[in-house]
Amino acid sequence: MSLLERLQAHRNLLALLGIIVFLALPFIVTDKLLMHLAILGMLYAIVASNWDLTLGYAGVFNFAHLAFFGIGAYTSGILSVKLGISPWLGIPCGGLTAALASVIVSIPAIRLRGIYVALLTFACSQLVLLLLLSQPLITGGQQGLTGVPQLQIGDFRFRESQFAYFYLVGLLLLCSTVFLRRLVTSDFGLSLIALRDFEEYAVARGIPLARQRLLAFLLSAIFPGLAGGVYAHFLIVASPDIFGFSLTTLLLSMVLVGGVATIYGPVIVGVAMTYISELMASSAWMSDVFGISRGPVRFMFVAVLIVLTMRFFPQGVWGLAKQFSARSRRTGTAETELPS
Amino acid sequence: MTLEALVAIIAGGLVSGSLYALMASGLSLVWGTVRMFNFAHGALVMVGAYSAWYVSNRGGIAKALQPIGKSLVANSEEAGALGALLLPLGEWILSIKGGFGLLLGVPFAIFCSGLVGYIMYLLLVKPFVGKPGADLVVIITTIAGASFMQNGVQVLFGPRYKQLDRILKGPPLQIMETAIGLQEVLIIILTPVTLLLLHLFLKHSKLGLAIRAVAQNDDFAHLVGINVSQIYPLTFIVSSILAGLCGVMLGGLFFILPTMGAQELLFAFVVVVFGGLGSLPGTIVGAYVIGFIRESSAYVFSLYWAPVVLFATLILVLIFRPRGLMGGEES
Repeated sequence: MSLLERLQAHRNLLALLGIIVFLALPFIVTDKLLMHLAILGMLYAIVASNWDLTLGYAGVFNFAHLAFFGIGAYTSGILSVKLGISPWLGIPCGGLTAALASVIVSIPAIRLRGIYVALLTFACSQLVLLLLLSQPLITGGQQGLTGVPQLQIGDFRFRESQFAYFYLVGLLLLCSTVFLRRLVTSDFGLSLIALRDFEEYAVARGIPLARQRLLAFLLSAIFPGLAGGVYAHFLIVASPDIFGFSLTTLLLSMVLVGGVATIYGPVIVGVAMTYISELMASSAWMSDVFGISRGPVRFMFVAVLIVLTMRFFPQGVWGLAKQFSARSRRTGTAETELPS
Repeated sequence: MTLEALVAIIAGGLVSGSLYALMASGLSLVWGTVRMFNFAHGALVMVGAYSAWYVSNRGGIAKALQPIGKSLVANSEEAGALGALLLPLGEWILSIKGGFGLLLGVPFAIFCSGLVGYIMYLLLVKPFVGKPGADLVVIITTIAGASFMQNGVQVLFGPRYKQLDRILKGPPLQIMETAIGLQEVLIIILTPVTLLLLHLFLKHSKLGLAIRAVAQNDDFAHLVGINVSQIYPLTFIVSSILAGLCGVMLGGLFFILPTMGAQELLFAFVVVVFGGLGSLPGTIVGAYVIGFIRESSAYVFSLYWAPVVLFATLILVLIFRPRGLMGGEES
């Protein structure tokens, strides 16, 4: 029996163990920066793993995915700053507007193929950004929307506690991951894979292409929208940087390095990559060794990592792990690569 | 609308149309031939602008060479027989404090953008050609390449704005009581010349004919003895040079900074989709049309709303004519 199978046999026990470790983590790790990065990493993991649903399973290159995250952030931010609505109502509203935006984007997108989908979704995300920038009175323009209130329940402020954001975001990540895994192993998930791998046959067997793709867009937007809302209240700002090339590249690297069409891969690598890239930006040795500013170097590193991944192990980290465990059983199974 | 506004819109439309045409024709050429979409095309614009700046401006290579020149002059006496050679060399280096000027800067920019385009092809495109799903993979790798170049330039040159010298100096031209800068006039004139050269290259040179043959049908091109694997990098180099030239022109108009080219790339997307991916005449017509739409919507609405109008146009075109207004049906 391979290691992975042995692990799978005890998955309930492992899950319980994982949850206990997770709950204990804020007591063990007291470093403020590490906890901050853990929360940020989990938020990015939510966005990346949901991107995997459209990119990996549906095989649709949706460039507007980060726009859903941004729309969630701005919705909740604007509602609380300009209208004084409670963040606890604003965050679900963020999920709702993100879902709505995904439907609007997907209606033209599902009729197009390949490169045209990428161009259209790219245009849509830039359109959202330009619209946000064109209304500086509401959105804060180039500086972003500042003064977004912290989350609090009654008099209990989330910021003052080590655990509050950590547990909240952890719960959101857990819900998102369980939701996604359920989804991709369901009939719906299988129909997406069928459409991706052999569209003509899948359509001939009666799978409604347009409806499934629209649903994939919609279902992949809800959790990023919610995560965006939490993100705005966590960082107390909703900034147009969310739509920038750099963050898109970073999140794309999480999906690809983690392994497309795996869900778990982007979750794990999402957290890991946040640590790697943020610590590269904040650690002193980078500037000591290279004598240069550190911010840009981490994005160069991420870019190199993406290209190497695409070139040498397109199945990603999670795919490699599965491949090795399969090889130890001497029954090699083909791994999913990025579909056409 | 007054006459001055009309002239201003026409001049502005011609300038933006020219810049878009230079960029978009490269994108379209690569798409038509290699069937790949180069998301790092904007970064090549930036490479062109920076390399022209590096050679021509006094803050670039001239500044970097000064210490070498000084030490050459200082050490020439001790070097004996070599000193006779070192002294004039050192003095010459010291004399170019102001940089080499655009006369050298522009060829250097062409060389650099072509070279970077070739390297990009080798690293980001070539390994994936012919594999299933290559077009989507190349989107990803070229995005990564663009991010690498943007951040790399920031490491090399710092985030501060730079500006190229203007090629023509002098008071702006007065046309119908509207002032138009000489740089703008130069762009309006030089772009059609460049595009005409591109046209002649594609229509009459052997390599150009080979590029068009591969674009039309690469299997048959192969059969008649064209080395398709050489045409792909050649197409990339030609398209990169066009982007680099666009960078030189942009660098004389606006500031040079690591993220330049990104916004122009977006407009070039609009242009190629509008004109039809892979169709060069469609792309060029599309570029000027988009240029005029941009300038007139900036006049009618505001500068902020001009891009919104453009992207709305793009989305509408994609919905109703996904092959572009002049693009044919894909086989």
